[in-house]
Amino acid sequence: MLRILALVVSGGCLLAQQAVDYESKVLPILRANCIACHSEKNITSGLSLETQESLLRGGNRGAVVKKSDPAASLLLQALRHEGDVKMPPGRKLKDEQIAILEQWVKDGVPMPAALMKARRKGADHWAFQAPKRHPAPEVQNVAAVRNPIDNFVLARLEKAGLKPSPEADKATLLRRVSLDLIGLPPTPKELREYLADARPDAYERAVDRLLASPHYGERWARVWLDIARYADTDGYTIDAPRPIWKYRDWVIEAINKDVPFSQFVIEQYAGDLLPNPTNDQLIATGFHRNTPSNYEGGIDFEQYRVEAVADRVQTTGAAFLGLTLGCARCHDHKYDPISQREFYQLFAFLNNVDEVDKEDDRKYFNKPFLDLATAEESARSEAYQAQVDALQAELKAYEAKLSEEKRKTDPGWMERRKNLAELRKHKPEVTQTLIMRELPTPRQSYIHLGGDFTRKGASVDAAVPSVFPQLKGVSGRPTRLDLARWLVDRDNPLTARVTVNRFWQKYFGKGLVDTENDFGTMGEKPTHPELLDWLAVEFMDRGWSQKALHKTIVMSGVYRQASAARADAKAVDPDNRLLAYQSRIRLDAEVIRDSALVASGLFSGKLGGPSVYPPIPAGANSVTQVTREWKTATGPDRYRRGLYTYFQRSAPHPGLVLFDAPDATVACTRRIQSNSPLQALTLLNDEAYFEFAQALADRAMKSGANDETRLKEAFAHALNRTPSETEQGRLLRLLAAQRDSKRDDRAAWTAVSRVLLNLDEFMTRE
Amino acid sequence: MTNPEQRLLQRTRRQLFRDCGIGIGKAGLLSLLGESAFAAGKFHHPPKIDRVIYLFMCGAPSHLELFDYKPELSKWDGKPTPESVLKGKRFAFMDTFSKETPKLLATRRKFQRHGQAGTWVSELFPHIASIADDITLINGLSTENFNHGPAKLFSNTGSVRTGRPCMGSWVTYGIGSESKDLPGFVVLQSGPRGPRGGAALWGSGFLPTAYQGIPFRSGGDPILDLSSPAGVTKDEQRQTLDAIADLNRLRLESTADQEIATRISQYEMAFRMQTSGPELIDFGKESKATLEMYGAEPGKATYANNCLLARRLVERGVRFVQLYHADWDHHQDITKPLDEVTHEVDRPTAALIRDLKQRGLLDRTLVIWGGEFGRTPMGEVREKGQIGRNHHIDSYSIFMAGGGIKPGQTVGGSDELGFTPTEHIDVHDVHASVLHMLGIDHLKLTFRSQGRDFRLTDIKGRLIQKLLA
Repeated sequence: MLRILALVVSGGCLLAQQAVDYESKVLPILRANCIACHSEKNITSGLSLETQESLLRGGNRGAVVKKSDPAASLLLQALRHEGDVKMPPGRKLKDEQIAILEQWVKDGVPMPAALMKARRKGADHWAFQAPKRHPAPEVQNVAAVRNPIDNFVLARLEKAGLKPSPEADKATLLRRVSLDLIGLPPTPKELREYLADARPDAYERAVDRLLASPHYGERWARVWLDIARYADTDGYTIDAPRPIWKYRDWVIEAINKDVPFSQFVIEQYAGDLLPNPTNDQLIATGFHRNTPSNYEGGIDFEQYRVEAVADRVQTTGAAFLGLTLGCARCHDHKYDPISQREFYQLFAFLNNVDEVDKEDDRKYFNKPFLDLATAEESARSEAYQAQVDALQAELKAYEAKLSEEKRKTDPGWMERRKNLAELRKHKPEVTQTLIMRELPTPRQSYIHLGGDFTRKGASVDAAVPSVFPQLKGVSGRPTRLDLARWLVDRDNPLTARVTVNRFWQKYFGKGLVDTENDFGTMGEKPTHPELLDWLAVEFMDRGWSQKALHKTIVMSGVYRQASAARADAKAVDPDNRLLAYQSRIRLDAEVIRDSALVASGLFSGKLGGPSVYPPIPAGANSVTQVTREWKTATGPDRYRRGLYTYFQRSAPHPGLVLFDAPDATVACTRRIQSNSPLQALTLLNDEAYFEFAQALADRAMKSGANDETRLKEAFAHALNRTPSETEQGRLLRLLAAQRDSKRDDRAAWTAVSRVLLNLDEFMTRE
Repeated sequence: MTNPEQRLLQRTRRQLFRDCGIGIGKAGLLSLLGESAFAAGKFHHPPKIDRVIYLFMCGAPSHLELFDYKPELSKWDGKPTPESVLKGKRFAFMDTFSKETPKLLATRRKFQRHGQAGTWVSELFPHIASIADDITLINGLSTENFNHGPAKLFSNTGSVRTGRPCMGSWVTYGIGSESKDLPGFVVLQSGPRGPRGGAALWGSGFLPTAYQGIPFRSGGDPILDLSSPAGVTKDEQRQTLDAIADLNRLRLESTADQEIATRISQYEMAFRMQTSGPELIDFGKESKATLEMYGAEPGKATYANNCLLARRLVERGVRFVQLYHADWDHHQDITKPLDEVTHEVDRPTAALIRDLKQRGLLDRTLVIWGGEFGRTPMGEVREKGQIGRNHHIDSYSIFMAGGGIKPGQTVGGSDELGFTPTEHIDVHDVHASVLHMLGIDHLKLTFRSQGRDFRLTDIKGRLIQKLLA
């Protein structure tokens, strides 16, 4: 000890190096006692002792080396077991070892550069390398190739000795592509026209027609809204209505206009930070305001604000990066190269929104929002305010004549008060929508030790994880807008891959990467890695056009195959990952409703507007704290598409959630497909579906007097095909039995219609 | 029926039974209502119980007025709470609650020891006191969040965040249900309003939705859309279902998609539910003595009716029944409102346990009674002249009865103020112990989501050894 001190005191570079040599003296101690938990590979509590840079940066509790007062460094306090952190855990180093490290710290923790090469576990993982456009492989079965997608799929099939399935018949194909692109089945007229179209590009024309339909935007908006955790209420305890449907309409319109996906993301993520943002760009930022919000009595507002910000980080992981970032909220990610510090660096981008964080601001619990009053609404509001002012003035004038005691019993006073209260109940609504707005002075972000927001660790600034290409061209403090641009930057290895994979999943039931929200080291590997990359690069090369991507997939031969399961393929590929045939996929909750609406002829094609209230089973919305009035629509709003159904988080419409619509609490990147008796009860007995069946019966009966004609009509609307002889025989038998029972033709035909709307085929995309 | 049609249908029926008669379970494991997807009913160890009835008291009952007797607290009555007790603690309603140092409040209720075990129960629960030897009381239980919504989520899912499966979902996912014509996990509710948080409390989170709790009503249709549409007779419904099944079978033959076989069986179960549902809520065959014991009045959505309904559900093989009863949130006044709700709950709760016992069901059933947290030993004054108690998460009381537990004892405890527990028992420990009674190791029942294996007890949970039989 003395010797070392003496050497240091005498100073000089040479002497210092000899005195406490990192490699021979310090490193052995660190290796034997510290590095196992504090390495670049395993940075417990955010602290790595492997590089000088990481050591000086410190850990989750902040700096561990204090240059101004080396003796007071946290590192040394921990080694001396002086504070609440005692290292190594459960034992203490020998005094002479501590002395060496003390000296090293006083020297300014010198480390030879050669030993400081940063290595990150998992940095070489496939998903962190930029996608490359691979040449389409050659295949033998050239006739089956419709576009390059088929080369990639066929090459794998040929390797496995499997043939692709033949193309589905024309009627099935049109039904499939209609359900997939616009979420609605074709009408009998559309089908007739398609079957009669003998031009070689008839299918492509049908695809183009569907992509140009405004219903395309509705269908794919719903898919995106799952990720946006869209709902019409606040969630948690009070779950009051919130103004956000304008955001839903923005998504529909953006998808219909084929706004490039990159722009689509930037505007939703940070439209408010664009120069001179338009109202539309502000509305788009509702994306991250869809987080549930809690304002029940007695809460700490900061806790739920933090919860929302953390959700936004996790959503960023699930939706764009395909990474389980949430794992790094409480500790470093166990499998992927994302440290807890990096989680909070991402958190810092999203931590500056002007949302309520203290009890004093309770009345602004929903801020920030945007006023979007129409001229009519403004006029109504002004008229209302004028009336209120007048009544108030009148009341005041009247009051002035009475003593305070007398007022309470005076009929005139009571009358006037009642009138005012009555008027106030009818305050006209003004259209608003929740948006993001940045605080003028950003909040300082910290690492939350153990994920607990009350335990602040080291302060952090906004940055992207080091495993990725870094932000480009940012001067000064990076903002949410910089993060948005980085997400859709050409060099980002994940966003395009994750997005094309999710599209693929919708068309084939499973993604090329089965774990669609985990492209990390624990996720599944892609079944067709080169195809995934080809699609990702193609997507970006074609200006992030979603329509182009949809078209490329549905034009492929692999998409157009028949969906019947094949025993020969199942024998070698039980899960059909090689895609020797298409998959039968149960329709999404909304698409089942919409298909029944179209079949019944009741369908209202109105686009957008406030959410609507179709019939709901009695008592379905009384399972929560506050039963809110459900004003069942009687006009066309009764027959709107499922995506417009009002979604109350604590009591969602059973017709949606029973068919696996997400509960809108966190981003949902994939719907599961359950199959339950409660679904059967809904389609069999629900008021709405019975009404659809009656309407379909009426349609059939209007088509002619002959039972066979009527049955054909009903089949054409519900299933887009004619009945087989067996089916016809079976249903005519049902018709006869029902006629015997009821002697009411409409009731009998309603029974037949109910059968059609309950068939597996009706609720399945073949 | 024409001959070719008949032949075809018969052939497909035969094929259905050959291909999936016993295979349905496999094809549709995830899909069948409440059928287990996890090791197909394989337990980790022999279960002590087969079913659970969880009586959830929304709003947080005061342990200090009901079960956790604190004679020492009366010496402190009206005195400011020592700073050492409050240091570093966060409470709900911090702004109003701690404007000035809150004063301690002794209970005004009388306590007595009951049963051979000498369990302390207050005068508010005479009926529950009369079955003291059938229950085990847990005092000094702790939880993590002091707001109702998140704390209820925590009691049910082990997480204060939404999106995780609740205990009922985990259990039915893990070991399925014995009921063939009712859902495996049923939720009932009574009181002036539904529970805060609603559907998230019985949600299946990342587990398939087939495992979510199904809310039942004690009046009207017990299950949504259970009745056939108006004007459709049972025979007509049957005819319609037969035609659906026949056409679905044809489709099954042409596509070989086993999901259709599952769908056919689900429609059959739906039809059976249409019969079993009304029978379930029909109390007509219950004796007058039984109705009186519960205080049940047919046709009303009361806690008493729901207790009786819970017994009828477990009799029919339902695995997990949860009753929510509001409202126990006595901030403002812990006198009359507490009298009322305890009066409402005491008799039916005791009756349920007694009834299960006399029918020989209690041995294989676990009954849990409790809320999302407790209430502070400090009084809270919101209106002059009234006193209530604030939310308290460090220490509260629940009790259990039935198989799986060692009855007639008090587990855990709290300091002399009822503020801090004397030993650590938390919600994760309760979850671990309940799963254990059902033959499930809480460390092994996992589900992979978002890149990692999740379990009900997250990264915690220890068995409460003293509680277990």
